[in-house]
Amino acid sequence: MGPRAAQDGVGGGAMTRTERRNLRNGLLFASPYIFGFLVFTLYPFAASVYYSFCNFNAIDPPVWTGLDNYKQMLGDATLRTSLFNTLYFTVGSVPLGIVFAILLAVLLNQKLRGISVYRTVFFLPTIVPLVASAVLWLWVLNPESGLLNGILRAMNVDGALAAVGLSLPNWLSDEHWAMPSLILMSFWSVGGAVVIFLAGLADVPQSLYEVADIDGAGPLRKFWNVTLPMITPTILFNLVMGLIGAFQYFTQVYVMTAGTGGPANKTLVYALYLYQMAFKYLNMGYASAMGWMLFVLVLICTLGVLYTSKRWVHYYGD
Amino acid sequence: MATKSLAKSVVAHVVLLAASVLFIAPFVWMVSTSLKHETQIFPKAGEPPQWIPTTERLDEQGRRFITYEGRTGVEIGNEDVKKVILVEGEELRVWPEDVEIQQQVGIHWQNYPRAFNMIDFWLNLRNTLFICASVVIATVVSCSLVAYSFSRIEWPGRDAVFVVVLATMMLPYEVTLIPLFVVYKWLGWTGSFKPLIIPAFFGTPFYIFLLRQFFMGIPKDLSAAARIDGCNELGIFAHVIIPLSKPALATTALFMFLYQWADFLNPLIYLQDDRQYTLAIALQQFQSNHEAEWGPLMAMSTVITAPVIVLFFLAQRTFIQGITMTGLKG
Amino acid sequence: MFRTYLSWLGMALACAVVLAFLWPSEAGSEAEREALRNGRKIITYWDRSQGHEYETHNELIREFNASQDRIYVRTLSVGWRIEKLLTAIASGAPPDVCSMEAHTLSQLAPQGCFVALDSWMATQPNMKPDDFFDHLYEMVNHEGRVWGIPTLTDSYCLLWNKAAFRKAGLDPERPPRTLKELEEFAAKLTVRGPGGTVEQIGFLPWLPWDFTYMWGGYFGGEWFDKERTRVTAASDPNILKSLEWQGSWVRDPNDPDAPAYALDSEVAQAFYNGFSAGGAYFSATNPFYTGKVAMIHEGEWQCTFIPKYAPSLDWGVAPIPQPEGAPPRSYSPSTVLDGIPSGSRNPDEALTFLAWFYAERSENEPSPASDYAFLIHNVPARRVEASQERFSGDPKFKVFVNELMTKPAVYFPASPVGRLFADQTQVAREYVMFGLSEPEAALKNLESKVNAEWDRVRPKTVSAAAP
Repeated sequence: MGPRAAQDGVGGGAMTRTERRNLRNGLLFASPYIFGFLVFTLYPFAASVYYSFCNFNAIDPPVWTGLDNYKQMLGDATLRTSLFNTLYFTVGSVPLGIVFAILLAVLLNQKLRGISVYRTVFFLPTIVPLVASAVLWLWVLNPESGLLNGILRAMNVDGALAAVGLSLPNWLSDEHWAMPSLILMSFWSVGGAVVIFLAGLADVPQSLYEVADIDGAGPLRKFWNVTLPMITPTILFNLVMGLIGAFQYFTQVYVMTAGTGGPANKTLVYALYLYQMAFKYLNMGYASAMGWMLFVLVLICTLGVLYTSKRWVHYYGD
Repeated sequence: MATKSLAKSVVAHVVLLAASVLFIAPFVWMVSTSLKHETQIFPKAGEPPQWIPTTERLDEQGRRFITYEGRTGVEIGNEDVKKVILVEGEELRVWPEDVEIQQQVGIHWQNYPRAFNMIDFWLNLRNTLFICASVVIATVVSCSLVAYSFSRIEWPGRDAVFVVVLATMMLPYEVTLIPLFVVYKWLGWTGSFKPLIIPAFFGTPFYIFLLRQFFMGIPKDLSAAARIDGCNELGIFAHVIIPLSKPALATTALFMFLYQWADFLNPLIYLQDDRQYTLAIALQQFQSNHEAEWGPLMAMSTVITAPVIVLFFLAQRTFIQGITMTGLKG
Repeated sequence: MFRTYLSWLGMALACAVVLAFLWPSEAGSEAEREALRNGRKIITYWDRSQGHEYETHNELIREFNASQDRIYVRTLSVGWRIEKLLTAIASGAPPDVCSMEAHTLSQLAPQGCFVALDSWMATQPNMKPDDFFDHLYEMVNHEGRVWGIPTLTDSYCLLWNKAAFRKAGLDPERPPRTLKELEEFAAKLTVRGPGGTVEQIGFLPWLPWDFTYMWGGYFGGEWFDKERTRVTAASDPNILKSLEWQGSWVRDPNDPDAPAYALDSEVAQAFYNGFSAGGAYFSATNPFYTGKVAMIHEGEWQCTFIPKYAPSLDWGVAPIPQPEGAPPRSYSPSTVLDGIPSGSRNPDEALTFLAWFYAERSENEPSPASDYAFLIHNVPARRVEASQERFSGDPKFKVFVNELMTKPAVYFPASPVGRLFADQTQVAREYVMFGLSEPEAALKNLESKVNAEWDRVRPKTVSAAAP
């Protein structure tokens, strides 16, 4: 760093030469994104904000209606249901999913014979086309002939339940168990997060483990004091992306319930309702309003996570 | 000591094996279905799905072996609504539902040639590979540059702009689909590969975020040392950061490849000639309004999935490669 | 340092080589390029069909291309999702011709997306209003003009499993003819297994998918007002009766006198899922094929699928029973049709193509449109085509065709809120089925929702024109 040069005489906000250079470099490196944003993102975003205040059927010019769409959203019971379903899914799948992914990643990070085969296996569900895995999952969750209930019957869980007057759940056909079934299904696509955690684990310097060994720490201690803090940047990534993804969760529901969000709207997640509004009923204005409301919701959640992250995320580089 | 680590690895293997069975199931089902005749594809009512493809057993005269009331016989023909069977020398007329056709393990290979006949596979593959390769290269280059800005350079407003980058992922695509299409039409790119490839050169928020997290984990001292050596930012980027980020870059490349390989909606919307169609779109051709060819569909799905699996298996080592922190005290 | 530069260069070179190798060839098939060279006009046709149906359609279109040298039709299979057509139309770059479902036309035609075809159709043989099944002509009609040419339609009947009838002690050749018989047979055909499981059910009014709209029509009810501008179902006693009747098929746990044919709601939902889930419908495990459901309301395509997926199934087909005293109706919910988008650059050539497709090739040689319908096992949209021998060759298929020929159809009228309305009828039935709502309240909910949306979508020009 060179000596501080003379300031520009612009009062209290003057920048040093280094700061000016950093600003220039920062913007330069970020310029591809900034340029892309201006060309591909700005207009669509601005247009959709405008549509959210209009009555718009996709073709005829939008007609300004002010806050009508938003007011309608407040009174829409189906929207409340869909929002609840999405929150239910998010809370159910994100935290547990991350824990599961971390455990799996640690397990797959060992030097075991054939570990590369195992890693591939756990990543398979992410690669297999949804059309194939959906059919299989529908069989797994089939109340009568499916694998899940078959296992439960083999363990005589149905007998135990019958004694209390209950029966095995109908999973996707059951209004109470449909969403939990989908949450269960989401754990199985955890391979992506696992790979990211593996990459994060690879970055943990061996020297730290050696130091811990010298201190006499066991595997659990090492995990808690060395591994976990070192992968907090990765945890942050998977947490934020998990939230953003869960709030927009859509494809699997669409395929598993044939686009209905049944039974009785119990799996109608927010993004599915939005999709119906946009492309089934061509109510683009309402769909845009829904989209922006989701945007605000997710933004608030993400900012919250980022704000608290200062407490628990350690960047080794610091 | 040796037994302790042996026990540990046995336990690890058991746990992994048990969990693997669950995770590998859909892939196994997909492959086995691709080798089945269409009548065996879906689980019959009340029965588990067939994992092993089977065919009928035939005798020398080409008659099917059947089981009736626990006894083996052959099927001779049909009479009215009943089946005529020969069991232990006796000719019987029975209801079809009381007769079970005997099966033996047998692979029905025909789904594969059929699948290849139903679509223009090599053309679609080439299109898909072209898009994937271009997008992966563009993404890795652009996202690492942008991520560098958000992680290794301190500039005013950086974190606010980063939040904007993240925010662009929070709006559902349905809402911007039409105006975005209008932008591409205005640029004259619709009906070509351009809307699928060119935006990748400007960075994708997901990977910018991912790489930023990894870049922030690289010690600042390394940058400082390089700066002292006379490197400018680009030099630090090229000589310090990139070589140390292979796992993250490999992950970026892999994920982007997978996403683009399977992306069906974007190519469908922007392409207007079926000679430009990708494999993901072609896969749709196995389902029509009133029927679905499940055998060939699974065969093609297997063909599309297999190379990716091989790619992942071979490229794994780049994920688990550790950084060598030479010249750095703990 | 130098090594790093070398490796960077090497990588860049490798990338360039790979891309050069993969660089896509020119778009457009050989045939199309030749057509261009010969000075033909190229028009685009976006087909919503896929797979085997698209191939069949394509073959007929290739025949058109080969039969003349002025026009070349380039086809594209775009699937049934609306995003592609919508973005193309919205951005002013639509195809020259496209196929779509009636609901889609109803949403887009009022926004001026298509060319009105009625004056042109009046000049064509076999395209007069009377030539089509009445309800199909209605479906493409908006504000007095016609916006598309119906190509295909469906018909529904009651199918029954003769082996199941036998096992239950019923005459396998005698289907139920009245609603009462339907209920009695259903009760007899419900087979319960050990542990309270249900192995076979007789019938459910919403298998394989929702038919609430149809049952309302069959019961003699009217869902809309006379001008077809508002939903008035909640005040129609027949609609209410139909919904109550559907609800009676699910056992009310509080009712000691539940009808014999009623099932528990989880069982009902599980059987419903057995059809809609995954690929079970188009496969050997379709619950009707495997004997889990003894009687079902199904469409004419089963005449091809049952021999394919369940060749040993012994089945019969007959018109579905309807309530006493109600006028006999058939059911034909939708149609696939061809239309010319307003922004088409070659509307005249498009019309020439459509004229060829829908006209008889020559005296006694059927039109390509009817060939298409026959090859994909659907019912053609025009009476004269449906009376062709080949559509009656299969006695079972004949029963389906007969329904449309002899009885006026219950159909979804052309309305921009048609999809919402159809969905809401299903929601109403589900709420009643799950005991979440009384039939009357469910209908009122449907009314308010659909009418509110109808008001939103209707062009506001009406009030401006009023004196």
